[in-house]
Amino acid sequence: MEQEQQRADRGLTHAAADALTACVIFLVGVVMIIDNYRIGAGWAPDGPESGYFPLRIGVILCVASIVVILRSLFGKERKREIFVPWNKFKLVLLVLLPTMGYVLAIEFIGIYVASALFIGAFMRVMDKYSWVKTLAISIGTSVVLFWLFEIQFLVPLPKGPLEALFGY
Amino acid sequence: MDEFSALFHGFAVVLTWYNIGMMTIGMVLGIVIGVLPGLGGPNGVAILLPLTFTMPPTSAIIMLSCIYWGTLFAGAITSVLFNIPGETHSVATTFDGYPLAQQGRAGEALTASFTGSFIGAFVGVLLITFLAPRVAKFALEFGPAEFFAVYLLTFCSFIGTGKDPAKTIIAMMLGFGLAAIGMDTVSGELRMTFGWSELLRGIDFLIVVIGLFGVGEILISMEEGLAFEGKSAKINMKVVLETWKKLPKYWLTLIRSSAIGCWRA
Repeated sequence: MEQEQQRADRGLTHAAADALTACVIFLVGVVMIIDNYRIGAGWAPDGPESGYFPLRIGVILCVASIVVILRSLFGKERKREIFVPWNKFKLVLLVLLPTMGYVLAIEFIGIYVASALFIGAFMRVMDKYSWVKTLAISIGTSVVLFWLFEIQFLVPLPKGPLEALFGY
Repeated sequence: MDEFSALFHGFAVVLTWYNIGMMTIGMVLGIVIGVLPGLGGPNGVAILLPLTFTMPPTSAIIMLSCIYWGTLFAGAITSVLFNIPGETHSVATTFDGYPLAQQGRAGEALTASFTGSFIGAFVGVLLITFLAPRVAKFALEFGPAEFFAVYLLTFCSFIGTGKDPAKTIIAMMLGFGLAAIGMDTVSGELRMTFGWSELLRGIDFLIVVIGLFGVGEILISMEEGLAFEGKSAKINMKVVLETWKKLPKYWLTLIRSSAIGCWRA
């Protein structure tokens, strides 16, 4: 009994991971239902309105996620083995959260500056490279990519205030 | 019968040293480009198009199509070794290719993949050359009801053969939901774009593939504390010949898959 408690304390169980994911998906389903109700989900004179099919998808999504939540919290065969131990989960979060921050930052400061910061932060904080190498590689990569995409291929990528200063 | 003479004329044009050289260069470039996830197939051909401006048109087309086939095979390389599909066509190669690579049989997986692709491509080209008009007539009779029936069968078989029906339904509905984002082609209404004009054309399939497989692989390798490395593969003539010896056992699979591929096209 105590060992089971210890095992459960040391990580996230499959059942808990299932329940958390199903909650998130339930919210996704609710968002789908709300937005498709807004654009009309009934039957117009010439056929289904545009929200008809996606609304029903959202409903099925909500029902299925409730089934998964109930089964993972109260079911008899729910898996109590560890899905991920907490120390490994911390490692995963150390990669996942900066990546999400990077994607969010692209919207505000552009992809080149955000990439330089992202690469530089990972090199410096995680692997402890010297400042010279960090700055050289992160800024160098961004400059090369800028030259390649903006000047050579003429493919516009999201840019921020720094590039606007130079007239791009 | 004039199809045969046209075919042989085509062979005569292709089999010059210059064109064979262009084919080789095209394949190498195609494999190099296709190994990079996200950059393959049509993108690779479009990016390398300027290379062909100074070449005669036939050689240019030969090189560009070899680039295309090279990228298709390279998609299988990353699928087998890294479990990251380099092309949208290579998603299914990860299902069996990566476990084979984990058992140390990556050379066999790669050989089987390229031999299968070769046979499939060969059958497809034969079909186009000889049967195109007849196949087109049959394809025109396939209407919306028939398409719906095929899709219904597919998705019901997913639920039937999956382990947990509720989770299978969630995965399918998430897929439908992501596909529904964008502008409706019938009425012009914007579904689930929430005011972002970038979502007008919906979410690109390649982005979903890279997010699902690529980011997932990176996070798994972080969790295991390992450096991000693919499985090593020893592919030499011995492995290739041994795999070719085993391949005729699967002749029914090859015929079946070629038929399905031609059907889909």
